[in-house]
Amino acid sequence: MNGQNEENLKELFERFVSTEEAESGVEDFVKAERILQQYPAPQPDEEMIAVIKSDIAEAIRRRREHAFRRLAYRMAPVAAVFIVIAAVGVRMLKEGSGPVELVQGPIIPARVWESENVAAEDRNLLVLTTELDELEVEFATLESDENGGNGSSAITELEIEFAEINTNIWEG
Amino acid sequence: MAQSDDLAPIIDGCKAGSAECFSQLVDIYTSRVYGYFYRLTGDSELSDDLLSELFVKLVGKIASYKGGSFDSWLFKIATNIFHDYLRGKQRRKKLYEARKNQLESEITEPKRSENGRIDKLQIQLWKLNDDTRDLIMLRYYSQLSLKEISKIRCEPIGTTLSKLHRGLKRLRELME
Repeated sequence: MNGQNEENLKELFERFVSTEEAESGVEDFVKAERILQQYPAPQPDEEMIAVIKSDIAEAIRRRREHAFRRLAYRMAPVAAVFIVIAAVGVRMLKEGSGPVELVQGPIIPARVWESENVAAEDRNLLVLTTELDELEVEFATLESDENGGNGSSAITELEIEFAEINTNIWEG
Repeated sequence: MAQSDDLAPIIDGCKAGSAECFSQLVDIYTSRVYGYFYRLTGDSELSDDLLSELFVKLVGKIASYKGGSFDSWLFKIATNIFHDYLRGKQRRKKLYEARKNQLESEITEPKRSENGRIDKLQIQLWKLNDDTRDLIMLRYYSQLSLKEISKIRCEPIGTTLSKLHRGLKRLRELME
C-alpha cells in the first residue's frame, strides 16, 4: 500500500489533463476502488496453503540436492586428476628411494637358442650326452672302488675333464 | 503491504533456503496474490494452481531479487505466470469456453461466490477486456503506485493512467 500512498494521484492527473478533469479522475478512482473493497475475493483454504508450504519445502530440498550433485560433477574431474597425480608421485617416490631390484639373466646363453644350425647343435649335443654317460660310469666305478683304490687322483682327472667339456660346450 | 524493513530478514532467509521464511512470505502475500489470480480467472481451483506455481517458482527466483520494491517484483512474476497461462493454447481455449459458459449461465442464474454473496463484481469484470481487467486487478491487489505498474507493463505512465481511469470508470458504470 505504500506505493499508492506515496503517489499523489491528482498531481499525476494534472500532468496530462486540466485541474477539473484531474479532480473528476481522482473521484472515479476512489469510487471504483470502494466498489472493489465491497466485493472481496475468496481466499484459499488452510489446507491449500499447507500444501503450498509443503511444495516449497520439497522444492528447496530438490534444489539443495541438485546443487550438491552439480558440485560433485564439477569436482569429480579435478579429484580424478589429483588421484592420478598422487598415484604417479607415490610410485616415482618409491622407485627413487627403494632397494635395488635384482635382475636375473637367462641361465642358458642366448646364442644356444639363437643358433640356426640345428644339425650341428644336435651333433654337439649327442657328443656331450655320450661323454656325460661315460663319466657317469667312471664315477660309479670310482665310488665303488673297483679300480685298485686310486680313487682321489681319478676324481681329480675327472673334474679336469668336466671343466674342459664345460668350456667346450659353452664356447660352441 | 509489508514494509521493506520487515521483509528484509525474511527475504534473506529465503535466499539462504529457509523453508520457514518462505512460509512467512506465503502468509504475507497469499491473500493479495490469490485475489489477483481469482479476479482474473474467476476459477478458485485454477487460482490455487497459479498461486502454488508462483510460490514454488519463487524458490528458484528469489536469488535474482536484488532489492527495490519486493511487491513490484513479486507481482511482475505473478503477472508473467498469468500471461504464460493464457498463452497455453489448450488452456486458453478452455478459459474462453469457461468464460462463455459463465456468461451464458449469468443470464439465467447469477454466480455466487464461495461465501454465498452474489459475485456481481466477477460478472462485470468479464465484460471488460483482458488488458483492462488485468490492469485494474494489478492496481488493486498489488497496491503498487502507477509508476511501478507502468514499469511492470513496460508502458509510459500516462498510458497506464489513462487505461486505468477508463477501466475503473467503465467498471463503476457496470456496477451501478
